[in-house]
Amino acid sequence: MSLFGRQSKRDLHSLAAPYALDALEPHERARFEKHLRTCDRCTAEVRALSEDAVRLAWSTAAPAPLAMRDRVLAAVRNTPQEASPLGAAPPRPHHLPAHVWGTEPPPPRRRAPRMRPLFAPLATATAAAALVVASLFAVQATRTQDQLDTARAQSREIANILAAPDARATNERDARGRGIGVIASAKEGRAIVTLSGLGDLPSGRVHQLWLMRPDVQPRSLGLFQGDTPLVTSGMNDDATSLAVTVEPNGGSAQPTSQPIAQLALKSVGFGE
Amino acid sequence: MEADELLVRVAGGDQKAFEELYGLVSGPVFGLVRRVVRDPAQSEEVAQEVLLELWRSAGRFDPGRGSALSWILTLAHRRAVDRVRSARAATEREQREGMRAHHPAFDQVAEEVEAGLEREWVRHCLERLTSLQRQSVTLAYYDGYTYREVAEQLSLPLGTVKTRMRDGLTRLRECLGGVA
Ligand SMILES: [Zn+2]
Repeated sequence: MSLFGRQSKRDLHSLAAPYALDALEPHERARFEKHLRTCDRCTAEVRALSEDAVRLAWSTAAPAPLAMRDRVLAAVRNTPQEASPLGAAPPRPHHLPAHVWGTEPPPPRRRAPRMRPLFAPLATATAAAALVVASLFAVQATRTQDQLDTARAQSREIANILAAPDARATNERDARGRGIGVIASAKEGRAIVTLSGLGDLPSGRVHQLWLMRPDVQPRSLGLFQGDTPLVTSGMNDDATSLAVTVEPNGGSAQPTSQPIAQLALKSVGFGE
Repeated sequence: MEADELLVRVAGGDQKAFEELYGLVSGPVFGLVRRVVRDPAQSEEVAQEVLLELWRSAGRFDPGRGSALSWILTLAHRRAVDRVRSARAATEREQREGMRAHHPAFDQVAEEVEAGLEREWVRHCLERLTSLQRQSVTLAYYDGYTYREVAEQLSLPLGTVKTRMRDGLTRLRECLGGVA
């Protein structure tokens, strides 16, 4: 910042990160947004950094108060939308007119609200947020008590992996939306593996997880039970990838079909 | 249906699509707003405004510039930060006038929901940052301070804070993983 409160071009370039974090004062924000229209470098940087910043948001998700849903949906029915973005959009009022929220009781529900698993949104979000843990997290809400007990037993193991100093995450999703994610500690040879978007299995079939290493037969790391994450240990540090196949109940000694999902392990510290 | 497609339908005035979108994003929006604003009543108010704004301004969403979820959470964060700053300014005014601030001090967000693993993983990755990177990022993103205020709080030059913010976010990206 110069003496006269005017910022040089060079200073403006450096505002991408504070902008992505919403850490600019209003006048700076306005100036920087003007700058963005002509600066490709900052535009690209802001886009990447904003995606990073948004990742911080995912860990804060919390169920919204139930009454809020009725209020918002009622307001939507009574609120016109802005004109097409092609025309100049009218400025947004800072506060919505008081009548929008009203004090009237919400209209009676025509049908029971669909019960969504509490954090199911995050499962969908992985496409954008690409967080392995989001899917880990999503499945928990839909479990039965039995599964929850298993999950609790697992959760200690999971916590241990998360706490490993070298724990890292990666995931992969193919064009058909089939995904596999892992959080792994290469040093400890342990990992949490999640699947998503694989669809329902025919009865009598399971998803089996395999560890792939150079010049060695695939080794089974276990069978998935529904959408529960698989916690595995004893992974060799020269492992190159994980693969998932569909196998008959009880699993197979060696894969009997083509992998339906695969994930390279280099980015989480294996094979180095 | 994913948020991107829903948002496009919402822009066309589809109320059913909005209901579905609400199911997807109300939790993340509310949670984020509450993390920043803290006061439960105000958080609810801001979250409502954000969700209604989605309805009103869905046409502004440009799929070419990023994902719908990122657009939505960016919007929610912006509104939350605006609110917490004006509340702070009001508190300071009251204190200057010798009045007792009537905003209850929530040093911990009430009724924490077990965001469990998700939260743990972000925390894990935040811990991998240097202390200055972490504080620069979280004071701005979670507490809504401007980078000037962050610089003041950490007694750092402005340029250093900007750099720490950028490096912190970049490193966080590497740790969180999933970047194809
Ligand atoms: Zn620039």
